[in-house]
Amino acid sequence: MKLGLDEYINLDSPFHRWEARYKLIGLITLIFAFSFVRDLRMLLTMVGVTVAIYVISRLPASFMLRRLRFPSFFLLALVLTLPFLSGQTVVLSIGPLDVYREGLLTVVLIAIRFISILTIALVLFATTPLLTTIKAMRALGLPGIMADMALLALRYIQEIGQDLKKMQMSMRLRGFRKRRLSLHGLRTLAWLGGSILVHSYERSEWVYKAMILRGYGHAPHPRAEFQACRRDVVTLGIVLLIAAGFITGDILFGHGTSALLQ
Amino acid sequence: MHIPDGILPISVNAGGYAATAAVTWYSIRKIKQKENPREGIPKASLLTAAFFVVSWIHIPVPPTSVHLVLNGLLGALLGYYAFPAILIGLFFQAVMFGHGGLTTLGINAVIMGLPAILAYYIFRLRKLGSKESPKQDGAFDFLAGAVAVGVSVAIFVGILVTNLPADFISAAAERAAIYTMAIAHLPLLGIEGAITSLLVVFLRRVRPGILDGV
Repeated sequence: MKLGLDEYINLDSPFHRWEARYKLIGLITLIFAFSFVRDLRMLLTMVGVTVAIYVISRLPASFMLRRLRFPSFFLLALVLTLPFLSGQTVVLSIGPLDVYREGLLTVVLIAIRFISILTIALVLFATTPLLTTIKAMRALGLPGIMADMALLALRYIQEIGQDLKKMQMSMRLRGFRKRRLSLHGLRTLAWLGGSILVHSYERSEWVYKAMILRGYGHAPHPRAEFQACRRDVVTLGIVLLIAAGFITGDILFGHGTSALLQ
Repeated sequence: MHIPDGILPISVNAGGYAATAAVTWYSIRKIKQKENPREGIPKASLLTAAFFVVSWIHIPVPPTSVHLVLNGLLGALLGYYAFPAILIGLFFQAVMFGHGGLTTLGINAVIMGLPAILAYYIFRLRKLGSKESPKQDGAFDFLAGAVAVGVSVAIFVGILVTNLPADFISAAAERAAIYTMAIAHLPLLGIEGAITSLLVVFLRRVRPGILDGV
């Protein structure tokens, strides 16, 4: 199984060079500022800022389009239903179905916010190894239990994914076919899941012993691993200013669906 | 059953994060009260990774297929580790595959995590009986799996329908959306209950220690 998130981790861009803790604070704040926006003019600015950040990150456009494929199904469901269900002002009639202006604008609002947030999140997590990001979260105050669980889970997801792949291939070679719902099929799939759980549980016992032998629990605080320079602080300041600009602009423009409909 | 970014208002997302922070804090407090809290971390982590992978198994429901949720079984096996485990799993799903979202991480953790804790208590009800009864155990296992998914669906539909940024959805359309989504998820409840029950039978035969919790 290939997660593919670290495909372009070795590129050189201001976002790749930005220190992980500052990048987390800056881009997460920007993401939340984006989720605050409801005004159409601010939405257009949001598109501009998102495109600029993505271009500066030097990540390829094809990478973004590939990442959009899965989440877009939910968006597609909204695009296909909301314009017909939501609103009062009919702008178009297709047979017995009326398309409402308010529903259409709501879809525009959701789609732009969704794609913009997803793009910024991609810049955040595709320009730093996920392992470093989790360590940065720990340095910013994530409880140790959560950070350790996340790091260990991340370490083993790919291996357990490979185990599942092998087991599924063995089942197919022995003639198992998932064509219809039956008790026999359910039992077989439950036992497949059970085997994965048991194998992982047994592996965890060896992992714990290995961790204790290597001095688990006596590591220095991860804050020492990170060092910020003036450029990191300045970049954070700029991004925070942009985020504050979105919130202020949206409040000044009226912040609400009514603003969107003007 | 994951709400993506861009759909919910920021107040709901903030509320989701506040609730998640409170439940996570309580769970970690309970974990730290154990004699050796570090001992459970590798088990909880590897089972988190395993549940993450097991959720990729698709069950055929012609003409389509559904993937397993298993938050009920996760709650039953991990106990107080279940909520942090679900939070981590959802974070990875959002980051790696774009399922769910970062702003909605808190609310999605509430949708999946609170029913997992509920399932943990349903699962423990099995021990109340004076003698062992496989049928009774099976019924509680089924309930733990089905109720967890059922409550998740109820919270998910409730949040989505009441918080869509459309001020003009008619009451009839809203009701129709709720009923359609609820009915569409009914087979999932049965499948989750059955799979949870079958999985527990398997674990009891192969590795009963795993059912004692982390």
